[in-house]
Amino acid sequence: MAKKLRGEFFILSANDLRTGEVVFLTEKGWSVNSSEATIIKIDQVDKFQAISDRDEKKCIIVSSKFVELDENRKIKSLRDKIRNSGLTFKI
Amino acid sequence: MYKYSEKDKSIIESRTKQFKNQVQRRLNGQLSEEEFKPLRLMNGLYLQLHAYMLRVAIPYGELSSSQLRKLAFIAEKFDRGYGHFTTRQNIQFNWPKLPDVPDILHELSKVEMHAIQTSGNCIRNISSDHLAGITIDEIEDPRPWCEIIRQWSTFHPEFSFLPRKFKIAVIGSKKDRAAMLVHDIGLRLIKKDKEIGFEVFVGGGQGRTPIIAKKIKNFLQKKDLLNYLEAILNTYNQEGRRDNIYKARIKILVKELGIEKFKLLVDENFKKLSDKNLEIDKVSIDKIFSFFTLPELKPNSHKVQIHKNKEYNEWVTQNTLSHKVSGYSIVHISLKSANHPPGDISSQQMMALSKISEDFSFSEIRVTHEQNLILPHVENKNIYKLWIELKKLSLATPNIGLISDTICCPGMDYCALATARSIPISQKISNHFKSFSDQKILGDLKIKISGCINACGHHHVGNIGILGLDRNGQEFYQITLGGSAKEDASIGEIVGPSFPESKLIDAINTILNTYKKNKKKKTEDFLSVFRRVGIKEFKKDLYDNT
Repeated sequence: MAKKLRGEFFILSANDLRTGEVVFLTEKGWSVNSSEATIIKIDQVDKFQAISDRDEKKCIIVSSKFVELDENRKIKSLRDKIRNSGLTFKI
Repeated sequence: MYKYSEKDKSIIESRTKQFKNQVQRRLNGQLSEEEFKPLRLMNGLYLQLHAYMLRVAIPYGELSSSQLRKLAFIAEKFDRGYGHFTTRQNIQFNWPKLPDVPDILHELSKVEMHAIQTSGNCIRNISSDHLAGITIDEIEDPRPWCEIIRQWSTFHPEFSFLPRKFKIAVIGSKKDRAAMLVHDIGLRLIKKDKEIGFEVFVGGGQGRTPIIAKKIKNFLQKKDLLNYLEAILNTYNQEGRRDNIYKARIKILVKELGIEKFKLLVDENFKKLSDKNLEIDKVSIDKIFSFFTLPELKPNSHKVQIHKNKEYNEWVTQNTLSHKVSGYSIVHISLKSANHPPGDISSQQMMALSKISEDFSFSEIRVTHEQNLILPHVENKNIYKLWIELKKLSLATPNIGLISDTICCPGMDYCALATARSIPISQKISNHFKSFSDQKILGDLKIKISGCINACGHHHVGNIGILGLDRNGQEFYQITLGGSAKEDASIGEIVGPSFPESKLIDAINTILNTYKKNKKKKTEDFLSVFRRVGIKEFKKDLYDNT
């Protein structure tokens, strides 16, 4: 995963294995609140990848990914913004 | 309507139990995601952008009132109170929790439904004409043939791991209302010298390489249907590419070999299979046909009521068709009201519609590939009463076949593969063109929107197709013109550089103005004008002043 990453700062995201909900890694564990997510520098990616692998094995999360942040430390891509904020229209 | 045999029931029940065990093992850590993924996909369970998504098959688009009630119950109890009808006569639930999925499948099995083969590289849900068995223009009802193919293809051991997914559509009329020519195999019932058989088409599809299917057989006898399908599938299984996912569909094989060479290979396989016991005898065919009889309709001379209410008259004009039995109508229920995600329906609407189908349409509902619903047998004398009921549920939008009746995939709001959003675009269009009289001036016009090149929104065959693209992190929309999914199927031509979302409605307006100014008579529709004047005229108006 780390080899393909572009950018300098990231947060780590995944889906909760049981509920499928989008979650983010925080200092206290996985949370649905991205504002609490731990900011990860590119050179820390391997360390956090290990945490992700561990939690996948523990059946807490699935399908983890590093989400790139922009220069304001906000989520950069539209896809990840939608993933974080939910649908862009009313149901 | 087909009723499950004891064998069908035991197959579904055992699969449900099997999957319950697999989910348990996944949650306990006995199965990794890598091991579990193919198992969940075989049961229609995807992991999408926000959550799990369960795709449930509605074989050939036919639903009973009890099945619709069950779908409403599932949406309410296990999901977020709504479901989404897809472009292949399936329904998707977008928010199920993994531990609940076996319970959902168990609930579905109680009403003879399942999610098997709605994903993976296997033969998918067999789709058909949503007007099967009820229109006068039909040679023969295609639904029994869909059911015969469904039974043959379910858990077929040789075809569980094909090079790629495989889609079959069957129609029984000259008119194609099932996009049959963009399926891997398309079957059309035809009559030749008093005998009914099939015209067979192969290698159609959309995605990144859109192709209209080629005819491989002018006339196939009914008894040979399964042998011939098996011969095509065997040829594909042996010769199809597995080294490149983008070149693995049968359309690429047919294109690379050429239809004549492909036909020779199929014919060789067909000969080898001739002693195989797949010939269908008349008794078996008759048995399946016995499930698809019309309800007890009483022909009568009642005409559809005319009323002083303008809204009602608009709806009757646009959303009803004559049934083959006099005194009855086919009623379309649009799931495309302004600002509404195409194909979405709430659990309350499903529940109420289930009761309406019992009161007005012999408990039958149809699902169209254009993401609408149908009440197939409504007495003409009850049409106004029905309209009142549908209106209360916001299900009486009079726009079938008009510009706001867009087909649309879930796009980047839901889909992990999408490159742009499609539902907000569809909502913009339906909101912008919501006036019935304006839509009528434009006439028959299909806008189809996909959020990526996989083309689940069928943009290639839209009269106006819209494809969402990611250009350096920005959403852009490429427009194609002149596509058709009907019997005159064609792939749309790219009109030129793509547009940002902010300029898309203006671009569509320009295209429509070009159409209007080139229209020779009032009844000439968009596609006819496009085919007559060509893309240059549209291109010039769209780009020359920019």
